[in-house]
Amino acid sequence: MTGRTALAAAAELLAWWVALALLWLVFISTVDTLERIVGASVAAIGALVARAGRRAVTWR
Amino acid sequence: MNGWILAATVLLAGGAGTALWGVATGPLSRRVVAQNLSTSVVCASLLLLAQGYDRTAYVDLGLLLAVLGPVGTLVFARLLAEDLTDDRAAAWGLTWTTVGVDAAVVVALCVAAGPGRAMVKLLVVGALLIGGNLVASRALSGGFQGVRGG
Repeated sequence: MTGRTALAAAAELLAWWVALALLWLVFISTVDTLERIVGASVAAIGALVARAGRRAVTWR
Repeated sequence: MNGWILAATVLLAGGAGTALWGVATGPLSRRVVAQNLSTSVVCASLLLLAQGYDRTAYVDLGLLLAVLGPVGTLVFARLLAEDLTDDRAAAWGLTWTTVGVDAAVVVALCVAAGPGRAMVKLLVVGALLIGGNLVASRALSGGFQGVRGG
């Protein structure tokens, strides 16, 4: 993996993470510290899975 | 009973009743279309009931249905692809009618909710519901024949 592709991968993961974390914040009923920690964690896992899924369907 | 619950009752009795009748009778192409449109009707009813009973947790049921309903229709479209090649399940008039009903319900609920996270959640549910309905309808009418790797 070259530096350029690593940067692209990191940017994609970050974009997925931001989108998923925002979605979490919208869907929960009360926003507190625990919810933020859980949301950030599951959004990180979700970002990895989303990128893997996106790569699987785009044949790259 | 308030106006929201009344609207949900009318939608359930009229829309879901019709969809049930459509699923239970007639040719295959009509059944899959009715199955697909039942999601739109029931999801909108759940959103109206959530507002009518003032229990925002019920919106999650609508969210779940908006995600899983179109996915279920896509499974049917894939499994029944051979049976549907001769008998295209296209019902764009009905599809756009339910899209209009769903949009009207979501807009009314957004006005009632006012600006905030609840409104964004309703808009996300509405977008998933309408987008999923359109994609599923297109899949049923054979719109994705040339899909890559399909």
